Amino acid sequence: MTKNWWKHLILIVGTIVVLAPFYMMVSYSFKSPGEIDRGEGGFFGRQEMMVDPRCVALRQPNRADIEAARTRFTGQADTEIQAALLAEAEADCSMRPVVFNYSKAFTEAPLILYLLNGVIVTVSIFLIQTLVALPAAYALAKLKFWGREAVFGLVLFCLLIPVHAIALPLYIVLAKFGLTNTYAALIVPWTISVFGIFLMRQFFMTVPDDLIDAARMDGMTEFAIVWRVMLPTAVPALLAFAIFSIVAHWNDYFWPRIVVTGNRELFTPPLGLREFKGDGDGSFFGPMMATATIIVTPLIVAFLLAQRRFIEGITLSGMK
Amino acid sequence: MALIEASHGSKVSQDNHQVRTAWSMTAPALALMFLILLVPIVVAGVLSFSNYSLGNTGFDWVGSQNYERLFSRSTYEKMFIATFTYVVTVVPISVGLGLGAALLVHSLGRVGDIYKTIYFLPVMATLLAMAIAWEFMLHPTIGMVNRTLEIACGTWLETIPFFLQGCEGSFPLWLGDRDYAIWVVCFIGIWQGFGFNMVLFLAGLTSVHRELYNAAEMDGARSGWEQFRLVTWPALGPTTVFVVTISCIRAFQVFDTIEAFWPQGGGPSKSAYVMMFAIFEKGIQQNLIGVGSAITMLFLLFVMFLTLIQRWLIERKVHYG
Repeated sequence: MTKNWWKHLILIVGTIVVLAPFYMMVSYSFKSPGEIDRGEGGFFGRQEMMVDPRCVALRQPNRADIEAARTRFTGQADTEIQAALLAEAEADCSMRPVVFNYSKAFTEAPLILYLLNGVIVTVSIFLIQTLVALPAAYALAKLKFWGREAVFGLVLFCLLIPVHAIALPLYIVLAKFGLTNTYAALIVPWTISVFGIFLMRQFFMTVPDDLIDAARMDGMTEFAIVWRVMLPTAVPALLAFAIFSIVAHWNDYFWPRIVVTGNRELFTPPLGLREFKGDGDGSFFGPMMATATIIVTPLIVAFLLAQRRFIEGITLSGMK
Repeated sequence: MALIEASHGSKVSQDNHQVRTAWSMTAPALALMFLILLVPIVVAGVLSFSNYSLGNTGFDWVGSQNYERLFSRSTYEKMFIATFTYVVTVVPISVGLGLGAALLVHSLGRVGDIYKTIYFLPVMATLLAMAIAWEFMLHPTIGMVNRTLEIACGTWLETIPFFLQGCEGSFPLWLGDRDYAIWVVCFIGIWQGFGFNMVLFLAGLTSVHRELYNAAEMDGARSGWEQFRLVTWPALGPTTVFVVTISCIRAFQVFDTIEAFWPQGGGPSKSAYVMMFAIFEKGIQQNLIGVGSAITMLFLLFVMFLTLIQRWLIERKVHYG
């Protein structure tokens, strides 16, 4: 420890830089607008009750409200009743900054829907990728057929193409079919993962042929072998691929930004956050950072719980 | 005899059957590869010679006009400058920092794992969210960065011109300043990417045999630097080639930060107008599909070229030792 102090010193400086934006994001999601403006209150803020001005503005008593409230405040002048009603509104609209920020995150925009879209899109992409890639990988690894080398060569060539790079022609084709602003547009370009095919093929190559011959003896069809024999042996590789795929698509911003325009029903979490930023004024830093925290948290928590698997999955591309 | 023939016949039919199964298994993947990956490249290639735009019924062939435009207009000159500045800055620094962090973390053994976890966090986090967090950090008046810099005012640090200027006037606007914008984007790219590189290098380091170090020591390589130069670095050759390529490809694709900071125009006086943003702005927002396709083709050319170099290097086994 004493010998290594300089290493720790360097790494701790790095840690501060790496964690600074996370610290700020979570801290701002706790603080009131005033505290954010003045830069005070430490990490958690002072959590003093604050009044939500928009909420009060919405409850500004009008003539009808005063008339309705006359029974409760008998014998008082209109101005007094109005003041009393305003005081009530303010009392109802005051809350702790942390509650304010997180409740605004869910009420200002349909964040639950965005999160749900994120789950639908990432899970569908992964399932379709697996459905397409596993049989192909099995055929390439274990079946002998004319043209196998050519197909594998094509897979290797397609590994060169980053899907983001061909976003424009993909968008044109989807637009021609009238598919923009649909779930299909969010999912279709990612249904083929050549990397998944390549990865699973490499893995299947290591599975002994005897296992497959035994299954054939039992009268299993080749398709049954893929799902009932190969899939169970491939769980670790598939899990790593799942993490790779899910992290990439949960965090993806470029593609949804292109194919979803205006239709909020289809927004994925990053698009929702972007929209928040677009119309946010100064007082909305808190709720916005709460939204950001909510979007980032699921993957970070999963990562902290299963670090080794995640690092394996994300660096999968290192196995190429 | 008949028996042998019969079994031979069934073998052939079984083979035929297997061939058919194999093709039906690869067919969906093949179809999707063609439709989603290859056809769009052809589409982009064809459209890059036209003035096509969505919604118009017809279009004209314009020859190589779109490409000529890319190499003559100052906007696109800025695009190339911004893209290459980003790639040339982010790749070496994030690879270097990744290697440095990996060496330090590796030498600390189990204690180092905590740093590994922390440095990997930016890789996992949604980049768009973190870009917005950085934007607040860099806010000229209420941002944490300038507030921290202000602390230095009145101390000896004021002798440094940067602080003197900042304390007397104001600290940089960062994202609003033409001289800083692209460098801030580079910084965030490095911040996000070096942990990924570190993990790849760590995987490479664990596969270096201990005996190699002992052997090097026997041969007189005592100092840490000598051992690094003679053992570690050559052993990391293939990892390094891979890390550099993947960093390049990722750096070429930078978009999220740029779009988050400057939804219009790609930074102050287009100083951060990178290629992906240009494709998005020209091709999709302005519906200038010819030009967008031309940029797409150039982009693909760069990326494929890089990957081919990498494969060639790996196949030649860049194991220096």
